[in-house]
Amino acid sequence: MSRVHVTCTINGDPVEFLCDGGQTLLDALRDEVGLTGAKEGCGTGDCGTCSVVMDGRLLCSCLVLAAEAEGSIVSTVEGMADGDDLHPLQQCFLEGAALQCGICTPGFLIAAKALLDRNPDPTETEVRYGLAGNLCRCTGYDKIVRSVMDAAKKINAGTGDHH
Amino acid sequence: MTITEPKPSYKYVGTRLVRPDGLEKVTGRARFAADLNIAGQLHAVVVRSPHAHARIVSIDTSAAEAMPGVKSVITGDDFPAVDSSHRQYDMCVNVIARDKVFYEGHAVAAVAAATLKQAQAAAAAVKVDYEVLPAVLTIDEALADNAPVLHSHMLTRGAEPPAEAASNVAAVTRFSGGNIEAGFAEADIVIEREFSTKPVHQGYIEPHACVADTGQDGYATIWCSSQGHFNVRSSTATLLGWETTRIKVMPAEIGGGFGGKTTIYLEPLAVALSSQAGRPVKMVMTRSEVFRATGPSPSTKIRVKLGAKKDGTLIAGDAYLVYSNGAYAGAGGMLGAMTVFESYNIANFGVEALDVVMNTARSAAYRAPAAPLTAFATETVLDEIAEKLGIEAMELRLKNAVTEGDLSTMGFPLARIGFVECLEAIRSHPHFNAPLAPNQGRGLAAGYWFNIGESSSATVNLNEDGTATVVTGSPDIGGSRASMALMAAEELGIDPHDIRPVVGDTEAVGFTDVTEGSRATFATGMAVVQACRNMVVELRGRAAKMMEVEVDDINWVDGHAVYVGNGDSASGSSGDSAAKESLSLAAIARKAKRTGGPLTATGSLEAHGAGPAFAVHLCDVEVDPGTGVVRIVRYTAAQDAGTAIHPSYVEGQIQGGVAQGVGWALNEEYIYAPDGVMENPGFLDYRVPVASDLPMIDAVIVEVPNPAHPYGVRGVGEAGIVPPIPAVANAIHSATGCRIRDLPMSPVRVLEAITAGGASANGS
Amino acid sequence: MTVRVHLSSNLRGPTDGIADIKGSGTTVGALIDDLDHQYPGLGDTLRSGVSVVIDGLLIAHPQYHQLNDGVQVFFVPQSAGG
Repeated sequence: MSRVHVTCTINGDPVEFLCDGGQTLLDALRDEVGLTGAKEGCGTGDCGTCSVVMDGRLLCSCLVLAAEAEGSIVSTVEGMADGDDLHPLQQCFLEGAALQCGICTPGFLIAAKALLDRNPDPTETEVRYGLAGNLCRCTGYDKIVRSVMDAAKKINAGTGDHH
Repeated sequence: MTITEPKPSYKYVGTRLVRPDGLEKVTGRARFAADLNIAGQLHAVVVRSPHAHARIVSIDTSAAEAMPGVKSVITGDDFPAVDSSHRQYDMCVNVIARDKVFYEGHAVAAVAAATLKQAQAAAAAVKVDYEVLPAVLTIDEALADNAPVLHSHMLTRGAEPPAEAASNVAAVTRFSGGNIEAGFAEADIVIEREFSTKPVHQGYIEPHACVADTGQDGYATIWCSSQGHFNVRSSTATLLGWETTRIKVMPAEIGGGFGGKTTIYLEPLAVALSSQAGRPVKMVMTRSEVFRATGPSPSTKIRVKLGAKKDGTLIAGDAYLVYSNGAYAGAGGMLGAMTVFESYNIANFGVEALDVVMNTARSAAYRAPAAPLTAFATETVLDEIAEKLGIEAMELRLKNAVTEGDLSTMGFPLARIGFVECLEAIRSHPHFNAPLAPNQGRGLAAGYWFNIGESSSATVNLNEDGTATVVTGSPDIGGSRASMALMAAEELGIDPHDIRPVVGDTEAVGFTDVTEGSRATFATGMAVVQACRNMVVELRGRAAKMMEVEVDDINWVDGHAVYVGNGDSASGSSGDSAAKESLSLAAIARKAKRTGGPLTATGSLEAHGAGPAFAVHLCDVEVDPGTGVVRIVRYTAAQDAGTAIHPSYVEGQIQGGVAQGVGWALNEEYIYAPDGVMENPGFLDYRVPVASDLPMIDAVIVEVPNPAHPYGVRGVGEAGIVPPIPAVANAIHSATGCRIRDLPMSPVRVLEAITAGGASANGS
Repeated sequence: MTVRVHLSSNLRGPTDGIADIKGSGTTVGALIDDLDHQYPGLGDTLRSGVSVVIDGLLIAHPQYHQLNDGVQVFFVPQSAGG
């Protein structure tokens, strides 16, 4: 079977890769493009560990075919920091101890950024529902939710202006 | 909120350092096992049994071997035979079945090919001829007189008189104390209840994964995530019949374990495939494989009977525990027996615990293994006694709680423990008397876990720029590197940011046992402290040389060698007089070449004196009377950490334990079809708590230092999962009047109980 | 030297249910040898899967642990963890 040629933008860079017709975007990111920040926790869209943003939409990259990324703009965790300047969410996750094992962290950061882009000043409940598609088995979510709310405050105060 | 006993004031211990491995993890750069790829690697998949119990008549791999891209196919025949008397027999035949399969998902063969797709296609072409056997799927079936016996060699350990015929009972454990009949006769109230629970999974988000590469020289390197890479090395060598030193294991970042990654599944298969193919082999489990073939918790049936005097004094306890450990012998019942009455003084008690086997996946340790289920039983019955006697649940526990000097179930006097302090922390918390809304209820429960010590090693290397590298052999599963850096900083007297804590491979650091039993910060922390103290001895010696004074005149103070002699011995010398008062660690490190060579020190020990951990939880629920849905509305968890080296990660361990316990209480269970096939092997149908299921979890750190640890550390990883199930159950009773004694307390079950008018699912 | 020994209740088969006994030895291993002479079979019971508690310290592999005068040795089942 011939491979599909895909041209897209990933984290601001033009990227070309070849993929199988049945290959997921997650597998293409990890195996063809070499971006392993998005993880496969389930392969069925239930854990959010593979979260990326494609053309402004938060989605599970394990549920998208790589070929569908043709012409699209994709953001992954590797693109969140601006050089050495961490995104306020990344900084707040570090300072707030919002990660333990860290396997779910890339997905949470992407999902949290999508949430704040849509709703810059979420309530605790809105954060909890906004992140309900991402599983974390270590933290009990407490410090993740606090860190997202702290990041929102920082961004809204202009002290963590970014992107 | 932290309750602190008077303790030494520390400069770094107890601070909230940003974790040293954090930056890599928030930028997506941290390397977990599945993130590793090696040039030339093959991809391998496992052929798994579709049957819960069957004899393997034959395996035909010829068609698979002939398929495109296939480089190697292995079966149980490719591994040395293992006798049932072997200490690790169960592990060996669980990794790859020999003559029989014991559960759906049991590995029977593995295939390596150039691509994953080719490997999957070839795996489907492996022909296995099974003679299907009747499957044993419940505890009652396992114990039935005419039950099919899984293992013909299984004679019940601990049976009196000794067992002569094989059965599905692996072991029986009995504990007793006092006079149980007299105790119950003296009781004013006796309550006896039965409980049942299903297997649940640890639910780590990272599936098992590894890459193995066997070289031409017959030496293999394994990159994998595990809770203990030295154990991966020895277990893999055992399975292959290799000398341990032929294998080197490189620890990847581990994406959660909770006990489930204390054993191995893939590594020997990957090494065997790599050896045959002469290429590196990568294996990654799917989530379905993780559910079907890796360690769930045991399932249980538990009966607990407690007798108390009118004033609430517990006087007699009787427990009958049956733990199913899945396909092979396990220690669930034994650990249940050791925990069921451990928190309370009960003068007269008897415990009998059975460990049984059945045709479900071999259970693995899950965070305080066995204890959440005995706590469910004991703490629920206690709650009922309190209710019937008209005594507050808190007062009943305070009245009977064990304290220092009280006897353990095992007969020894307990060392300094912080159970009463945890109870008092909850009693004085604002949550304790906060008002409840309609349909809400409040539950209190306590929990206990032993914690363990085991072997740990650490190496400290001082670098020429005055920084330190701390190498340990403990995989960092929840922030232990940060704790190691803090303890080393405290000992050496340098800023923790100048310390790089790393997890060394099996050839880079001394032997270290698995990260389990809440032991990493306790035991490996002790090794780090020992290494640092050895380093300080060396540093004082080097400083003495540089100052040309006696080493006995040098003290180590706040990262400096300080001269405390009277100055006579140094007078008239040619030494650097400016340095006579004090030399910094960096100054000594810079001149290491001239004073004796590189500065390195090690610490290796078998840690004695693990301190028991107690936890007390308070949970508010709101129950929807129309649907039976239970919502957790407020949760406060107090736990004795001994000393919290890094409070944020102590809180994190407590909060994580609560979330897992709440999932166990309300949602999680393995559902089997009548033929033993797991029906919910995915996160859609096996529902773990998500952010919107939980409120903030107020973690209250109680600090009653463990006298056996240089900083007073107790393990904190496990105790937090012990109280949540009974805390939720007691809260549901408080809200609805219903006692539910079967897990999970799903909406259907809660609604049934409400509809039945307060009666429990199994009668009350 | 002679030390006091306490057996947890699951380890008392060879002593016919007796919990508190005495034995001698300079190490826990030697003590177990002595106890095995007094109560045949107790050695096997105590040599595998058993820890001791001495002076409040839980010791998982006590064979060569030195015994001091006046201590009490508690034999208990080995625990585990996740």
